[in-house]
Amino acid sequence: MAAPETLAPIGVSVHAARLDYAGLPLFDDLDFEMAPGLWTCVLGASGVGKTSLLRLIAGLTDPWKGSRIACSDDAPLAGRAAYMAQQDLLLPWLTVRQNVMLGPRLRRETGRDRRVARALELLAMVGLSDKADALPATLSGGQRQRAALARTLMEDRPIVLMDEPFSALDAVTRHHIQGLAANVLRDRSVLLVTHDPMEALRLGHRIHVMAGRPATLDEPLLPAGTPPRDMTDTALLRLHGELMQRLAAAGDA
Amino acid sequence: MGMRIARPVIILAGLFVVWAVIVWALAIPRFILPGPILVFEAWWDNFQHLLYHAQYTAIEILAGLALGAAIGTGTALTMAYFGGARRWLLPVLVASQAVPVFALAPILVLWLGYGMASKIAMAMLIIYFPVTAAFFDGLRRTDPAWLDLARVMGGSRWAVLTTIRIPAALPALASGLRVAAAVAPIGAVVGEWVGSSVGLGHLMLHSNARVQVALMFAALFTLILLALALYYAVDAGLRRALAWQPDSNPAHDR
Amino acid sequence: MMTIDIHDIHGKIETMMTIRRLFTALITAMAIALVFMNSTAAAQDKLTLVLDWSINPDHAPLFVAKERGFFREAGLDVTMIEPGDPNSPPRLVAAGRYDLAISYQPQLHMQVDKGLPLIRVGTLVGTPLNSLVVLKNGPIKSIADLKGRKIGYSVGGFEEALLRAMLAKYGLKMSDVTLINVNFSLSPALMAGKVDAVIGAFRNFELNQMDIEKRPGRAFYPEKEGVPAYDELIFVANRKSASDPRLPRFLKAVARGVAALRKDSKGSWVLFIKGRKKLDDELNRRAWRDTLPHFANDPAALDAARYLRFSQFMKAQGLIKATPPVSSYAVELR
Repeated sequence: MAAPETLAPIGVSVHAARLDYAGLPLFDDLDFEMAPGLWTCVLGASGVGKTSLLRLIAGLTDPWKGSRIACSDDAPLAGRAAYMAQQDLLLPWLTVRQNVMLGPRLRRETGRDRRVARALELLAMVGLSDKADALPATLSGGQRQRAALARTLMEDRPIVLMDEPFSALDAVTRHHIQGLAANVLRDRSVLLVTHDPMEALRLGHRIHVMAGRPATLDEPLLPAGTPPRDMTDTALLRLHGELMQRLAAAGDA
Repeated sequence: MGMRIARPVIILAGLFVVWAVIVWALAIPRFILPGPILVFEAWWDNFQHLLYHAQYTAIEILAGLALGAAIGTGTALTMAYFGGARRWLLPVLVASQAVPVFALAPILVLWLGYGMASKIAMAMLIIYFPVTAAFFDGLRRTDPAWLDLARVMGGSRWAVLTTIRIPAALPALASGLRVAAAVAPIGAVVGEWVGSSVGLGHLMLHSNARVQVALMFAALFTLILLALALYYAVDAGLRRALAWQPDSNPAHDR
Repeated sequence: MMTIDIHDIHGKIETMMTIRRLFTALITAMAIALVFMNSTAAAQDKLTLVLDWSINPDHAPLFVAKERGFFREAGLDVTMIEPGDPNSPPRLVAAGRYDLAISYQPQLHMQVDKGLPLIRVGTLVGTPLNSLVVLKNGPIKSIADLKGRKIGYSVGGFEEALLRAMLAKYGLKMSDVTLINVNFSLSPALMAGKVDAVIGAFRNFELNQMDIEKRPGRAFYPEKEGVPAYDELIFVANRKSASDPRLPRFLKAVARGVAALRKDSKGSWVLFIKGRKKLDDELNRRAWRDTLPHFANDPAALDAARYLRFSQFMKAQGLIKATPPVSSYAVELR
């Protein structure tokens, strides 16, 4: 039973993180910052370790001795993050509304009526009001990911960790939901892991490229403008070219 | 719906024809294998008698199924929740399946008597492993991504078990229950063979000894009908309870 | 009178010698053939016999006959088969799968009534062995005490006939008792107190079994309690085999087996357990001793009047519909 979260943005800093995979370090002595209230994107090829970094922050893997994960307000990170994966992770036996209320259900929170009202509000926000009582199997891929987004919003956490949440969607759906996510998750500290540079450019305030073995993060790119950015903007397209070059170079290395 | 009923009837009719042809072609004497018409006559003439015995066997099967399923699910949950329990119970579970039912039947009958208790115990024993193994397997194989989500959300172990693991494992349990419904009749009948005074298995033995071979096959046939009815009832019930399980892939892209 | 010419005499002597040579050759050939036939005749005439149950002292004369070569001397190669299900041997013989089976006289009446083409060709045990057994130290002191009690039986098929007659003698009906099928687990059921009495227990077997387990039993004999005497173990064959020449030879060899058994019981026991070590236990040893007096000295002999009386008894008990002439299902083969 968490107290209602204040929306004062919180930053996350990771020091000297290390993760091993098959006996070799995926990354070692890695430092990483999530700026408070901003979207930080980590871009990289598959298998480079960006998901592992996200999972480390989420508390899904144990940190290496000597590494530290801290929040800017010195309170622990546990219980203050929301997680969204590439799969929608909707439980097939629950309705959409019940799925949105999954977090409170798991934490055995009280005040059901208030929560139901909030869930319906959130579903309206993501455009799924008419699907509240449907089973996930009847929804399209895009609709399901929107439901997952509503579930994430229901958590109402200052930190949101998203691991390639839109990569399974078709281009048009993806475009819509990127805009939606940028709007509803404004002012939260978001870590977006992605392999799509355009997605990073549209949504991110800071964009890191992760590359190498062991992987390292380079200096972040800071595109101008407010997300969701217009993908036809020439400045953005130039940055896109630059990012692609960085990625390609990282690929060759 | 029409085809669903028509299909088993057609299959049954086909089997009867094959049966009659075999008996005729190989000139099998009727005290070894009577033809379907003789058996049907015996079935019709002794209908009340068969019904009387069938109800005892039916009760034994149903009670054995219910109790065995209950104990099996309980065992699987215990093994899933308590790691220590799994280490100790798993060998016992495997052993329970390795012992042939025929060997245990006389002991059970001597222990629990010649009434229904020993037959129910036999049916329970025979389905215990399939149900437990299926459900336990389902509980173990929960999608790790769901468990990740639950962990970040801060659910307790118990909450994760009841909200995610158990519902996710229900399809596996359903498979185990389907197997159990098919196998439970065997337990009941073997129990009756070893010692009883009523039931279809008892009637089969009884009529066989009196060279009433057609009646024996009629009793066997009734048993088969009973087993089929039970299976389809259990299957339909499970289908309704697990209506959320999609039978085919979702229509839209993923 | 024929005139004898010198040339004729010479010719005749030559002819006589030729004939003599031919004759010798023929005799020699016949002798060789006979010897050859005899040595292969000993291995001819296979005969399959399905036992009524797994090998036990009830089959003593058969094993004596086999081990002492009586079957071989009768020109028979007998294969004895243990059945899986005691109800099947007569049916398999009726279906022509095997030549002979050991069965029970009451069952034969029922099977013939159901149209199985079987005939009794010989008798192995000519007296009843079946009995109603209770615990010696139990509450049942007479058959009348069985009112309201549980009686265990194995699937013999005619226990009701025996029981009905035995109960009737004491004014009881079948509805006064509860019959429970214990499927051959007769003594354990009785000794464990799960039933108050068992029918279908053989007096040479179950009684000894209970003695060994120190829970002695007491037997009521059907032939003393209102049931006509009958043959417990008989040889049955397919009706088509009534004139099969192997069968009289078989029965003679069995008779020799019975005689040899009576003359030397100990030696015969050694032959019985030769190569069958697992039969050498206390129960079989005691049963061996108790079964000896029951074997029919003349297996081929048939008491047709006794068979008729028993079939009438079975009809009166409602177990068979008709009493056909005994000759249609029982023959004496010589």
